[in-house]
Amino acid sequence: MNEKEYYIPDGTYWPIIGSIGISILLIGFANQMHGVSWGSSAMVLGFAITVFMLFGWLGQVVNESVNGQYNQQVDRSFRWGMSWFIFSEVMFFAAFFGALFYARMLSVPWLGGADNNIFTPDLWNGFSATWQQVAFTTPGTTLQSGTAISIPTKLVEATGLPALNTILLLLSGVTLTLAHHALRSDKRNQVIGWLVATVALGVAFLGFQVMEYGHAYADGLKLTSGIYGSTFYMLTGFHGFHVTLGVIMLTVILFRVQKGHFSANNHFAFEGVAWYWHFVDVVWLGLFVFVYWV
Amino acid sequence: MSSVIIIVIIVGILLALGSGLLGLMRGGPEGSEKMFRSLVVRVALSLFLFGILMLSGYMGWIEPNAVIMDATIAK
Repeated sequence: MNEKEYYIPDGTYWPIIGSIGISILLIGFANQMHGVSWGSSAMVLGFAITVFMLFGWLGQVVNESVNGQYNQQVDRSFRWGMSWFIFSEVMFFAAFFGALFYARMLSVPWLGGADNNIFTPDLWNGFSATWQQVAFTTPGTTLQSGTAISIPTKLVEATGLPALNTILLLLSGVTLTLAHHALRSDKRNQVIGWLVATVALGVAFLGFQVMEYGHAYADGLKLTSGIYGSTFYMLTGFHGFHVTLGVIMLTVILFRVQKGHFSANNHFAFEGVAWYWHFVDVVWLGLFVFVYWV
Repeated sequence: MSSVIIIVIIVGILLALGSGLLGLMRGGPEGSEKMFRSLVVRVALSLFLFGILMLSGYMGWIEPNAVIMDATIAK
């Protein structure tokens, strides 16, 4: 066998443990939503098994990598695996940005009577074709047709917390790039310092995002507040979830840097996580422009 | 005009990010170098975009969240 071309991994039990964990997690979730008493406990158990699998499996991969068991073919397979993962992520966010675009630019104006005027604002009682990135706390006015509607009282602000969060994430991109540069120059202490700064900026972003949700919720913007509420919370919520994962992954990379797992020439795990963080950063820029500004 | 500039910069950011991904996929010293350079461009363009956005908003060239579609509200 040509060991540079092929790599045959040993048998492993981690995939089946992961399958069991995720199955229990989802069965528990479904039952919890139906109010079954053991639903929540099953969720916790499934989550614990999944986390155990992640630690066990990824820990094993790290050990094998550090022990020099991987050849170039494994390196290539990691890179391909990463790129397919990224492809799925791009498609995921493309779907939600697409939904935002379709609702904002096409379907809501149609319902308001744009283009062929098949639809009218009187589609049903109280319907108003507004893009409600706003609080609907003041009931107030009537359409010309006589339908009473609530009017928007306040726009979601782009220059307050969202702008601050954009600055935080952009800065985290800068600090991560500095960490990357330090790693390529074999300066481990600098890598650690810049990575700590990146993680701190990510955590600060999440804190302010929670605050922002608090404001939006208090102003009456909810997941159920029409198409804007749905797309707003789906996009920003999933983005926040990705930032959370990014912070966890950067923390793992931080510990691995401290342990000396990476060299200037060989640090695929760092590169993968760094690219992921840059991607999440760009998604936020898209959100900032298309959800808050335009 | 400023919205055209903003869109051009966003496209530039996406291209830089994509170029970084190609470097990541290629691997080796060349790929690593390509990835790093692309991400530096990505960060620089993002900062530039944020600056342009804030300036445009401040100068009143673009107005955040100004659109309410339903024009038939009775006064």
